[in-house]
Amino acid sequence: MIGPENGSRTLRKNIAERDCTNGERILSSEELRIRAQQLSLREQLERNHFLLERLYAASAGIIQALAEGDVHAAVGEILGNLIGCEEAAIFHYDQANRHFVHAWSVGVPDETLQHFSKGTGMMWRAVGEGVTQFHDRQPESHLQPCEQNLIASVVLKSSREVVGVILLFGLLPQKNGLEWVDYQLLKFLETYGAVAIQLQCLQKNAVTP
Amino acid sequence: MASKKILLVDDSCTARLVNRMIFSQKSNYELISAVDGKEAVERARLDKPDLILMDIMMPRMTGLEACRVIKQDKATSGIPVILLTTRGEESYVQEGYASGCSDYLTKPVNDAELLDLLRAYLGE
Repeated sequence: MIGPENGSRTLRKNIAERDCTNGERILSSEELRIRAQQLSLREQLERNHFLLERLYAASAGIIQALAEGDVHAAVGEILGNLIGCEEAAIFHYDQANRHFVHAWSVGVPDETLQHFSKGTGMMWRAVGEGVTQFHDRQPESHLQPCEQNLIASVVLKSSREVVGVILLFGLLPQKNGLEWVDYQLLKFLETYGAVAIQLQCLQKNAVTP
Repeated sequence: MASKKILLVDDSCTARLVNRMIFSQKSNYELISAVDGKEAVERARLDKPDLILMDIMMPRMTGLEACRVIKQDKATSGIPVILLTTRGEESYVQEGYASGCSDYLTKPVNDAELLDLLRAYLGE
């Protein structure tokens, strides 16, 4: 897929170069502008199609997990297979007692989990503001030493109630950072991951009164 | 022309679904699936797919082990196996090729990259 970093300027240059090397007539600047626009629109459509496929797979995974009672693992699959993060943890948030409870994790050492179960700055800001916190958008002075490897603290919010956070610690080596599709998938998890986790808790409470 | 048969092997239903959707962009592929290496070996022998796309980290039998078994069996050794993994480091890639795989793709899967690879192996 063509990344967003390849702008229409590059496309326009490529079109012009291709037309010259093929010996075709050189397009006017207006024709070039229209073709670049068309290509740009196509890129956007392809990007949205790419996202739709992944949102569909994420929804299906969560729905199936609800039936099987393993929503955390389904969230893990979305993180690993669709976003490319295999170092992550989910903490439930108990609003009444203001504390975090470790619920699931993959690729994160126990020592780190223990540290984060007390809550860190990015986690508290996520639950306090109800907004996902990204490491690269935090002022350096707000970051705690233990948060140096924390990429994001994704708030899990169901009907305005914060039910937990997903912590992303590390992306796969082939990923340079979070991309547009990843941010959309994280937005999906903010709401629908939270709903699924809450539903699963309700189901468990119903069977074990 | 008979459609080409692809065996998708992944224990993650999310990954299988995404791959199915990518393949559905090319309507002339018949897709069958397996959820671990052991089932992949059985299905390879039974269904004789034209290509196998297989995850590495799976329960019961890993993709690397399954690839070795498939490549050692005369009945299935000619089937191209593309391994799919989260680990893109050189040592993992080398281990993948040592198992006899034809190619190696890293997750998250890129639609265009995967379809290009399929075209290269299936001759379309």
